Amino acid sequence: MSEHINSRIDTQAWAAGSDTPEKRVLNLGFMALTDAASVIVAATQGFAEKYGLTINLQRQASWASLRDKLLSGELDAAHSLYGLIYGVQLGLGGAPATDMAVLMGLNQNGQSINLSHALQFAGVTTSDALNLRAHQKGARLTFAQTLPTGTHAMWLYYWLASQGIHPLEDVDSVVVPPPQMVAHLKARRIDGFCAGEPWCAQAVDENLGFTLATTQSIWPDHPEKVLGCTRAFVEQHPNTARALVMAVLEASRFIDENEENKRSTAKFLSGSDYVDAPLSAIQPRFLGQYQDGLGHAWLDPHPLRFHADGAVNMPYISDGMWFMTQFRRWGLLRDDPDYQGIARQVQQLDLYRQAAEALNIRVPAEQRSATLLDGKTWDGSDPVGYARSFTLHALADSDAVAL
Amino acid sequence: MLRILLINDTPKKVGRLKAALIEAGFEVIDESGLTIDLPERVEAIRPDVILIDTESPSRDVMEQVVLVSRDQPRPIVMFTDEHDPGVMRQAIQSGVSAYIVEGIHAQRLQPILDVAMARFESDQALRAQLQARDAQLAERKRIELAKGLLMKMKSCNEEEAYTLMRRQAMSRQQKLLQVAEQIIAMHDMLGS
Repeated sequence: MSEHINSRIDTQAWAAGSDTPEKRVLNLGFMALTDAASVIVAATQGFAEKYGLTINLQRQASWASLRDKLLSGELDAAHSLYGLIYGVQLGLGGAPATDMAVLMGLNQNGQSINLSHALQFAGVTTSDALNLRAHQKGARLTFAQTLPTGTHAMWLYYWLASQGIHPLEDVDSVVVPPPQMVAHLKARRIDGFCAGEPWCAQAVDENLGFTLATTQSIWPDHPEKVLGCTRAFVEQHPNTARALVMAVLEASRFIDENEENKRSTAKFLSGSDYVDAPLSAIQPRFLGQYQDGLGHAWLDPHPLRFHADGAVNMPYISDGMWFMTQFRRWGLLRDDPDYQGIARQVQQLDLYRQAAEALNIRVPAEQRSATLLDGKTWDGSDPVGYARSFTLHALADSDAVAL
Repeated sequence: MLRILLINDTPKKVGRLKAALIEAGFEVIDESGLTIDLPERVEAIRPDVILIDTESPSRDVMEQVVLVSRDQPRPIVMFTDEHDPGVMRQAIQSGVSAYIVEGIHAQRLQPILDVAMARFESDQALRAQLQARDAQLAERKRIELAKGLLMKMKSCNEEEAYTLMRRQAMSRQQKLLQVAEQIIAMHDMLGS
């Protein structure tokens, strides 16, 4: 089969001439999360070697460190939050503004918002009860997310706002790296958090909290982690970047192929070199089997997924723009960016198309449409208007007054 | 005199670093076990420089400090000397991250970074070494060999053989190469 694929690549006549990877040994960063599965599997199960690559996996202790190492070149590419890549592109946060690249989507769905056991005992087990509690006088609730520009901050803010709770005025928001969420919940330093798995399932399993909302209930099949790198890396190593996308695409397809592959992937992820958490916390939600800690159990129609015939992996222009609209909505961006122009530079559509077509993977349209839980539709057509269309916001410029 | 907040929440020892910075004439406040309280502590201590292990989970909390302080008279920024990006890169590689109050001259930071880079216990030895290309080629050949043996043994096609090997590897928390070696060893034993 490898010969078959190589001959297909040859016929594509890449712009660069030869398709030989410019760099063969790659340092690839990831955070201890189950949604890093496709890069971990690509690196360890013979997918990268097929394309002439050796991937050294490097687990990171924080998103900030992962970002700095991407910028310094210590990491070539990484499992990244969508919002981390766009945050760096726009110069929001600790790092200098740097041109970044999204090579492909790694997964959709599978994060969640969780509240503490103490809130559960106080009867705060619904969004209405949380709304009442958040607007009561007295101690403000503290919610943790994983990075000021990260996906979890955006899911948390979006969900709270959709329930009538202003995320920046009615509650306090703090940053905690995902593997430490459970410890902070246990120490009662936070009242709730939004993060990826297995840390939410672990909070439920250890009877420290319950899941109030999944992120797929906010936006079914929402974008989440991406394979990210600097623009300079793609420009200097286009063949390596394409080979890497092909290896990760094949690994994604393998994981999603059937339940047996998912189960063995879950087992592998639980190892100490990777997610380093009990299989019992990883496997159920990895297979879409949820229980919320309040006695409800369900098989989720929009579980964590890695491929879905390529629907997950396409670096949609509209996905990239959505994060910028939320940065704008919450005052991280003071002005409207060139939404289309920036997204088109960051999302590596051409490279992705070449990789997907070589593997006979369907390439969907550049923009996609979705209706989120507040009833608003996002289709990428009017980012400026969309960013201004929310009742609750923190728009920071003079235009906000006119609303 | 510059006031330095030294964040101590990873296994690296900062004892000698603190002493060395004090000897060099800086005021040093060291904080351990800090995590989410960090924004309040920074507000209360008002340091000029914050030094933190690059591998510290609290790096993400510092992201919040940087964003929240951006409208204040003395915003905290990550030290990224635009005139010499090599310095930041070198610092990160030695495991030191520095955040400073905007306006502090890079020259004043240099002696602090010099001390920090020398005194933070380096874990270079633990860092993954780049694998030689020869090893990579050899690995690929071993995997191919095992796949071929398995195809014969199980009378299956290439994709099926790969899937069997991968499932076996991941269920046992092994890399594909390890399973390939086991198949080859088993084949050698049974074949001879």
